[in-house]
Amino acid sequence: MKAIIAATISGVILMFAGILVKEKKNAVTLAVILLLALLGVNIYEVVSTPAAAPQAFFNNMLRIDRYAVWFNTLLTGCTLLYVLLIGKEIAKVGSHVAEYFALICFILCGLYILSGYNNMLMLFLGIEIISIPQYILAGSDKKNLKSSEASLKYFLMGAFSTGILLMGITLLYGATGSFYITNFTFLQADSLNVLALAGIILVMIALSFKVSAAPFHMWTPDVYDGAPTAFTAFMATVAKAAAFIAFLRLFQVAFGSLSNSWTLVLSVITAATLFVGNITAVFQQSVKRMLAYSSIAQAGFMLFAVISVNAIAWQGIIIYAVAYSVATIGIFAVLLKLKDYTYDGFNGLAQKEPTLAFVATIFLLSLAGIPLTGGFMAKYYVLSAAMQQGHLMWLVIFALLMAAISVYYYFRVIIAMYFKPGNPELNSPVTQTDKFLLILTCAIVLLIGIFPQLFLSV
Amino acid sequence: MYEVLFWFLTIMAIGCALGVILSRNPVNSVLFLIATFFAISGHYLLLNAQFLAVVNIIVYAGAIMVLFLFVMMLMNLNADVEPQKSRLAQLAGMIAGGVLFLVILAALRTASLSVLDKQSNDIGLIKNLGKVLFTQYVLPFEISSVLFLSAIIGAVVISRKEEVHSTVADGSVNTSDIK
Repeated sequence: MKAIIAATISGVILMFAGILVKEKKNAVTLAVILLLALLGVNIYEVVSTPAAAPQAFFNNMLRIDRYAVWFNTLLTGCTLLYVLLIGKEIAKVGSHVAEYFALICFILCGLYILSGYNNMLMLFLGIEIISIPQYILAGSDKKNLKSSEASLKYFLMGAFSTGILLMGITLLYGATGSFYITNFTFLQADSLNVLALAGIILVMIALSFKVSAAPFHMWTPDVYDGAPTAFTAFMATVAKAAAFIAFLRLFQVAFGSLSNSWTLVLSVITAATLFVGNITAVFQQSVKRMLAYSSIAQAGFMLFAVISVNAIAWQGIIIYAVAYSVATIGIFAVLLKLKDYTYDGFNGLAQKEPTLAFVATIFLLSLAGIPLTGGFMAKYYVLSAAMQQGHLMWLVIFALLMAAISVYYYFRVIIAMYFKPGNPELNSPVTQTDKFLLILTCAIVLLIGIFPQLFLSV
Repeated sequence: MYEVLFWFLTIMAIGCALGVILSRNPVNSVLFLIATFFAISGHYLLLNAQFLAVVNIIVYAGAIMVLFLFVMMLMNLNADVEPQKSRLAQLAGMIAGGVLFLVILAALRTASLSVLDKQSNDIGLIKNLGKVLFTQYVLPFEISSVLFLSAIIGAVVISRKEEVHSTVADGSVNTSDIK
């Protein structure tokens, strides 16, 4: 709860800083300071929240437990890393730098709500609080037609899916007479309540849209490709993880005992997401667009945590969210250094900038799920959660097959960097600070892969 | 009397809603939509929710739809400029919509909904609504301010002109506006 207040205040401070702070560099510094403070507040919450029982706030609107607070802390850390690595590039997007950071703080506020909500109203508010800033960030490069297109497309599709979410909530309220997710008493009373089932399906469709699962993924490549690269890195990582924790929470806490009715639908969505994301990524010519499709594919893996109703799923999503976020932020930081986003643009990077090429290789290996990197551990956790369910064996095998395909398009970048001659043009010189931060990010990726328990201990 | 009003409003709401999607002229569609909102407001009144009924008319029928109508008239849309969907997309849309309709119909047919007692029910009165809003629902009420703040920032960021500072060779800073 303190974190929600702190995130809001940080956002407001940054908003007013837009008037006072003229130098773009100072806005970035202020954002880093506020995010550090926010991280501190989150760590304080981890320490002060009792391990056993969740704390209820404001008539049970929020039920915040140690797990939720720990998830918030890790993702706030990812955001801090993102601002440190990419802050300079954010300042180049437009002239409203402080406002962009304010929007990022509001997205964090939405994340804190989504990891601890206990009421459908809070779910709706949280989803909207993470969505509306994203529509704005996608369109922040106003001189670029593709950015405006991305923003408009995202806004229209997002508004439509919010409508579906509201309709689902209405049906659930009609069936149960309650907005509280722990109160959905129909689960025990009559499990074939068609009104509730229709509500569950509609909510599932809306949340699948928010996490860009197929067949509701159509917006993803255009929006992630069109939006300024600096913001794509945030939208594809922390904002997506926020939508996922909401998805997981709803389907485990509220609908967990009803899982027979929705597992099949959700496993078809998962299979479709894995298939569409991986197969289409193979045919891309631009690395940025490939990463957009790869984010769909990774969402497919994260959906495994939503399907499996057990304790490992909760751990799986935390590891997956962090491993995927850190690696993706890292690879976007490398991408932002380059002028040309095609595969050919990476040719010969290993000769010109060995450090850049090396860290990019680690990030790509992690995304592909090679052992010793965070991505492997993440995939291991979510897939073993699904294995524990028993009847999802076919989906696990399918996922492993798709992971093998993903190796092809991630390695294409590595091959371009190391084995093809070329002289890539850089946007800005790689400074010592950049190198240090990239190596730090790289170390975190390896740390998740070797000691995943460090990130699970709460 | 209540029954007669209920059926009158229901038929009006459904008929006008059909009019929205069936009429070729977009202006007629918007007018039908306004009529639908009025019918739904009538339903709210029957449920003793006066505040909701008034807000629905003021905000939706009054402000939003009039704005919508203005945009429609200014853009001068008609059937010729309307993009033609392919037959396949039309068919897919029809099937998807029909299936959703069927599911919701089936859901409502078997549902055992708890019926609101309209005599003793005064939850929709403005006094009770305000009380609930500031006690039980105070957190969503306050949190929604974050939502509005981000929307306001969005309006500023998107609509304000970008000022580009370009440094000229002699070192002086030249400010020019780009539309």
